[in-house]
Amino acid sequence: MINLEFIINMISLGSLYAMLALGLVIIYGILRLVNFAYGELIMIGGYTMFLLAGFTPLPWLVVAVLAVAAAMFTSLFTELVAFRPVREKSLTAMLITSFAVSTLLQNSALLIISPRARAVTLPQIFQTSVMIAGTSVPWRNILTIVTSIVMLTLLTLLLRRTVLGIALRAAADNFTMTRMLGVPANTVISAAFAISGIMAGIVSIFWIARSASVTPTIGAPPLLVAFVATVIGGMRSLTGAVVGGFVYAIIISLLGVLLPPELLEFREAFMFAFVIIILLFRPEGLVSSKTSVERVG
Amino acid sequence: MLELNNIHARYGAITALRGVSISISQGELVALLGVNGAGKSTTLASIAGVLRPWQGNILFEGSSILGRSPEQIARRGISLVPEGRDIFPSLTVEENLRLGAFTRSEKTEYRRNLGEIFDLFPVLKERLQQPGGTLSGGEQQQLAIARALMSSPRLLMLDEPSLGLAPALVDQIFELIARLHQSHVTILLVEQNVDRTLEIVDRAYLMNTGLIEGQGTPQQLRTHADIEGIYMGVHRQGNP
Amino acid sequence: MNLAARLKPLNTPVTLVAVVLLLAVLTALMGISLLTRIVTVMFVSLILVLGLQLYMGNSGILSFAHIGFMGIGAYTSVLFSMTPTAKELTNADLYPFLVPLHLPFLPSVLVGALVATLVAAVVSYPLMRLSDAAAVITTFALLVIIHVVLLHWDRVTNGPRTLFGVDNYTTLWTSVIFCVITIFAVYLFKESRIGLRLRATRDDAYAAASIGINMVVMRWLAFIASAFIAGVGGALWAHFITSFTPYSFFLTETFVILAMLVIGGPYSVSGAVVGTLVVTAAREILRAIENYVNILQVFPQGFFGFTEVVLAVVLILILVYRPTGIMGSRELRWPQKLPKVQEKEAIPSSEKA
Repeated sequence: MINLEFIINMISLGSLYAMLALGLVIIYGILRLVNFAYGELIMIGGYTMFLLAGFTPLPWLVVAVLAVAAAMFTSLFTELVAFRPVREKSLTAMLITSFAVSTLLQNSALLIISPRARAVTLPQIFQTSVMIAGTSVPWRNILTIVTSIVMLTLLTLLLRRTVLGIALRAAADNFTMTRMLGVPANTVISAAFAISGIMAGIVSIFWIARSASVTPTIGAPPLLVAFVATVIGGMRSLTGAVVGGFVYAIIISLLGVLLPPELLEFREAFMFAFVIIILLFRPEGLVSSKTSVERVG
Repeated sequence: MLELNNIHARYGAITALRGVSISISQGELVALLGVNGAGKSTTLASIAGVLRPWQGNILFEGSSILGRSPEQIARRGISLVPEGRDIFPSLTVEENLRLGAFTRSEKTEYRRNLGEIFDLFPVLKERLQQPGGTLSGGEQQQLAIARALMSSPRLLMLDEPSLGLAPALVDQIFELIARLHQSHVTILLVEQNVDRTLEIVDRAYLMNTGLIEGQGTPQQLRTHADIEGIYMGVHRQGNP
Repeated sequence: MNLAARLKPLNTPVTLVAVVLLLAVLTALMGISLLTRIVTVMFVSLILVLGLQLYMGNSGILSFAHIGFMGIGAYTSVLFSMTPTAKELTNADLYPFLVPLHLPFLPSVLVGALVATLVAAVVSYPLMRLSDAAAVITTFALLVIIHVVLLHWDRVTNGPRTLFGVDNYTTLWTSVIFCVITIFAVYLFKESRIGLRLRATRDDAYAAASIGINMVVMRWLAFIASAFIAGVGGALWAHFITSFTPYSFFLTETFVILAMLVIGGPYSVSGAVVGTLVVTAAREILRAIENYVNILQVFPQGFFGFTEVVLAVVLILILVYRPTGIMGSRELRWPQKLPKVQEKEAIPSSEKA
């Protein structure tokens, strides 16, 4: 059943996962931190849409922008309040902190809104399709692909043409050396968290669009996807994140048609076993970088 | 210009500096000599703000820089070229240089510095758009020094710039350092290549196990008792 | 040596056990069934926290996989402890060869723990040589894999559906006895040659390697020991709660156990004990507040999640202001001596400044 519809679906999924992975890698590259609270940023985006689309007359485009903004500000806030004070201590402390922040955000949503799923009012366009080359393609998929192209272009421009972007890439190579050139650590890290939040916010729009509802635990599945995609792509490279996202989408889609039904449910287990294998044998990921320098220790 | 008073520093439980005091005046080229583990790199790291000494004080141009962050120290005009160069492998040569000039926002100054860099290091002009990771060891060393110079530093610190380089390149590096010295850049140099270092420096300190064991001009040091030890530890010259 | 001198090095575990026994006796005397339930769960949680302490405290590596092994221990032990009839009743799809298996309670617990240990032993060995960041990430991957397997291997675990009908073998005194044994075991491990060597690698990997300590093997031994304890904890918990799903062995549980350990202090056995006591007490109080607010119907949509929010905030505060936890890597002694040299660094730092 691998037809045009399947392929477009896969590309759309890949675009979504690429943006998802980027938001996680941008922090990991600099801080070596897997931000467990990243999934919750998507949750924040979702609840913002739920509140604004459901209870205010704001047009949907404004709602979407505010959802992205909410995710970005939450990300910046968590950095300022939780991650910055533990940054100097150790990686383990940061990891546990990110886990705690994740729990905190999740349960705050539970507390403030409700443990039950809440329906999100989506604009008409997310329910309509268009005919392309004889197949019915949901607008949702097209929008996902277009948005990801736009975002990737913007991000690339930021990273290659601005001083901040150069500083971010340098920080991912060698954070201490970047500081020794006078680049303020806090600025770089806040920028990374902001970008991470923006990515999460955009992903949340299209993620929620698939189910039209939001729950406090909606952040867990995308976190796991981002996790696997970043490992596939080599955890420190942004190009790798994009590749990882697409590879994940391709593998999971193919497994969906190729695996017998009994094994289908274990797809995620396979993906995570794949993660372990990559970390064991090719920790730099499947994307080989010409400029990667061997680091000892 | 720079004064270290009785610096004590440690890595975790390991004491690295046990009371180091040195001073450098403007325009001088001063070296820290000693075998591996003597504490030379630790001294530079303390000045650069990467490591915080638990006792002692560091004065730069009259004010204390102890406990300041690396960013703040860089902004004061102290540039460190670490051992192992630490250029950014995924950034191009130009981007590396651009970041080196981070603390200087003046465009004309940037262009002037860049011009001077191209004069000193013509090979970098050739490889301007190449990723730093594709450069050879010698080219990376040049890039690392060039990057530090882009910020018009008041104090330049070099940690073993000749390490791991072929003899011809070692010549180049020492010539370069001498030239910089002539153009009035204040330099603190850490080296194990005692011969070449003593040829070009104004003064040098001898370090051993976290302490300063001797200091003086090259003439004074050549006859110093401990120089033998450093010679023997590093080189096999004809006559000591 | 007289008895007092022989017991002296065991001062800490004896003190901790005394505290545990005291609590148990008080609970038994008070005879309030709710309190007995809370305290029994607390002792089972303590076993899990102790297991995590054994690995994390000595190796310095964070492991997310711990609760996964708890789950394996739980599901395996009930496969043996339930009667064939009970098993068929709860899981019609159960593999036929699993149905007739039946063992008394204690051997079931042992089998559960052994299976968890076996899985840990096989899967974890290659992971032990990974660096810190990769080591932690792979344990997280393990947790997810175990969770997915438990969730979908219907013919063994009943999948996402509740597995019910487990006999309530875990009484207050069952959990106390296992707890006491675990306290001694974890403390003895810490002070054993393996424990000492492992902590040497934690503090300085290169120095340890230079005197011939094989870090990989040491870590591995600690990992499987901790998996064994997690398996025991899981089995005990399964026979207390008597019905459960795979969702009980995932992120929420991981968070609670981790919080107990970090708040109490991950570098000492006393830290595990103190943390469990403090967090359990706090949770019950917070839970009571939650219930009270719900009864008063202050919030129409219900007041849930308050306990977890407070716990998360406390955890973050501890990490920022007192990373070594309440115990600060010290052990409890009776009588209290002056504290020896305190470790300034809580969790080993990789960055210099």
